[in-house]
Amino acid sequence: MTADLIYLVIENLLKLSPILVVAIVVAQIIDSYLSEETVKKIIKEKSIIKVAAVGLATPGPLVAYLPFLKVLKRRGLPLSIIVAFVTAQTLVGPMRSFIEVEYFGAAFFVYRVIFSFLTAVGIGTCYRFLEKHTS
Amino acid sequence: MNKNQVEKIYRNSLKEIKYIFPMFFVAVLFSALIELYIPNRIIYAVLGKDLLLSIPLATILGVILPIPRYATYPIALTLYMKGASIGVVFSLISGEVIVGSLDRDIMELKYFGSKSYVLRMILCTFFVMLGGFLIEVFL
Repeated sequence: MTADLIYLVIENLLKLSPILVVAIVVAQIIDSYLSEETVKKIIKEKSIIKVAAVGLATPGPLVAYLPFLKVLKRRGLPLSIIVAFVTAQTLVGPMRSFIEVEYFGAAFFVYRVIFSFLTAVGIGTCYRFLEKHTS
Repeated sequence: MNKNQVEKIYRNSLKEIKYIFPMFFVAVLFSALIELYIPNRIIYAVLGKDLLLSIPLATILGVILPIPRYATYPIALTLYMKGASIGVVFSLISGEVIVGSLDRDIMELKYFGSKSYVLRMILCTFFVMLGGFLIEVFL
């Protein structure tokens, strides 16, 4: 049984690792083209749809953007914009595309992108509604 | 692409690989254990048969289990091959990212308040479950 386990682990590692490496490198390439400045400029435009779209395309950890979002919030950026970006950025990323297409097919990934976008827009809109009715 | 960019991509990719691979190895080991020791009928009974139960369960498992980034994939793939539905796979993968790393969550809590954080978590969980049900219709 231990031999079976070792064999299966090695087999799966050999099968799954290359796609993970490709995904990591591609995410870094996208990251080098989609500069932090571009992302910050779009966030300042205060459009839930634009912010959700850019959130989906932004690779890397969210932690890098949180301090900037905090400063903008202090300067008046609505929470609805912040949550739309945070939600979209966390749900999908370019790095996930390769893994998901390889494992579950392109249709699954496309569905996840569309639904994540709608989720981010939906949550942003809920916050906007609350902002309007609680202030 | 200039030399500096290539160097940066190479450096950051290596850093990311070093960070992800140990957890990825654990996830592959875990998925191999599922493949070898958990019978298909149990996976199907819990995560494939009754969607009203399995999709919320997968979402909540994704949210509460400390599964690291990208480590969900080998586990989700094994569950899928053993009879879990596509809605369950969707819910598990999307649920995993709702609650992120500890540092990210603490920062979000501190910067934007606990009310906003909790509300976002609740709404995300609801949307992920909804997505899990809808994917069963569309795919």
